[in-house]
Amino acid sequence: MARDKNSEDFIGPIRRLLVGLLVLALVGLFLVWRIDSPRVERLRAATIDAVVPSFSWAMAPITGAANLVSDFQSYQQLRAQNQDLRRELQQMRAWREAALQLEQENAKLLDLNNVSLDPKLTVVTGVVITDSGSPFRQSVLVNVGARDGILDGWPTMDAIGLVGRIAGVGQNSSRVMLLTDTSSRIPVTIQPSGQRAILAGDNSLNPPLEFLEDATLVRPGDRVVSSGDGGVFPADLLVGQVALGTDNRLRVRLAADYQRLEFLRVLRSQPHERIGDPGNLLTPEAEFFGPAAVNPAALSASGFGDG
Amino acid sequence: MAEWADSKTWLNRLVFIALAFVLIVIDLAPLDTRPSLWAAPDVLLAATLAWVARKPSYVPVFIIAMIMLLTDFLFLRPPGLWAALVVVLSETIRRQHREFRNMPFLVEWGTIAFGIVAITVINRIVLAVVMAPEAPLAPTLVEMVATILVYPLVLVAAHFIFGVSRMSPGEVGSKGQVL
Repeated sequence: MARDKNSEDFIGPIRRLLVGLLVLALVGLFLVWRIDSPRVERLRAATIDAVVPSFSWAMAPITGAANLVSDFQSYQQLRAQNQDLRRELQQMRAWREAALQLEQENAKLLDLNNVSLDPKLTVVTGVVITDSGSPFRQSVLVNVGARDGILDGWPTMDAIGLVGRIAGVGQNSSRVMLLTDTSSRIPVTIQPSGQRAILAGDNSLNPPLEFLEDATLVRPGDRVVSSGDGGVFPADLLVGQVALGTDNRLRVRLAADYQRLEFLRVLRSQPHERIGDPGNLLTPEAEFFGPAAVNPAALSASGFGDG
Repeated sequence: MAEWADSKTWLNRLVFIALAFVLIVIDLAPLDTRPSLWAAPDVLLAATLAWVARKPSYVPVFIIAMIMLLTDFLFLRPPGLWAALVVVLSETIRRQHREFRNMPFLVEWGTIAFGIVAITVINRIVLAVVMAPEAPLAPTLVEMVATILVYPLVLVAAHFIFGVSRMSPGEVGSKGQVL
């Protein structure tokens, strides 16, 4: 013991100083993050961009083993699955007929209305590389980034429904914040009634609907689509179905398959042109005839109308 | 510390880095992207503390800081804070590792558990003070308790798989240096 303590005496103070400096540097980084978060988040995106794609070879055996296990489980349940699929297939045949008829009708109506769907809504498809790795954050990393022209805030879908939005873009990868993340807030419309609400992620599989104006107009099974409110997302992207949670809150059963996100489509959503003052569209700015320099406050005070 | 390292120590440092890499990759693999109701133990933290308590020369403080900072970045935690706390905790344990040698295991486990609880609480307090977004409380507590419970298992794995066990009194390195 005594010898150990003596031998540490040379190196002890210097080491303690260095460790102190190390801890100070780490705490300093944290403070810088707190003060100037976007800059450090860009550093984070760059770090992840540099590190994670090189992990893919290491991840292959893990995902392969997981696939093997799930395949084995599905072999075990083959018979039950087969019956389920047959039953579903019968239902789907009926739906297919209905869908074909509706498609024809829809095409006719669109033709009559001469509607052009938004031509700017093209997609970039990416593959999910990793998830967030933490039970507290719900996000995945996809292998498309600034190189492919991805921008922050673009909506991301799987084959069916909305999955999340781009939050953080690196050169070769970008992060998709899922709808289930606690900081995800999406304006939505509930379809037959047209009620507006906010879909607020709360780290559970079925996020609750908040700020519903009239909950009595909404019933479980209603379709939830994104609303174009606030220019956040393009309108009418399918989000899911309303469901009544066990806590008696209205929640959304998401249409996207969250169990295994593999390919994600990032929609190139261009911001719509905003019309700030509709009056100017019809006539240019009115020229002012009359006595110069009339005080508008005096005008409105004397009840002259809105000038 | 680095001055005293022989080739065996260097090899074991590389083994620890490889282990940390594997643990990080397992955490990152997108096996199930649904939110989970409970949190898995932080095996990387348990392994780091186990290695520091048993063979501190295998995990220099610089390696701990780098790995923890990397996980801060990868796992979307506030960068730097958790790394700093783990470095401080590991230094505290490093200073006590000679006393651990003579103590019953329960005392060591208790010390480690106290340390994990302390850094979890300090982490939350600091985040609350600077008004940074915090993780939900329940999974944090579950993760903390799970990490404490998994510590003995990590020790068993460290002993039988990686050959990291308590130093016997008077044990020296291959060139007779003090470990």
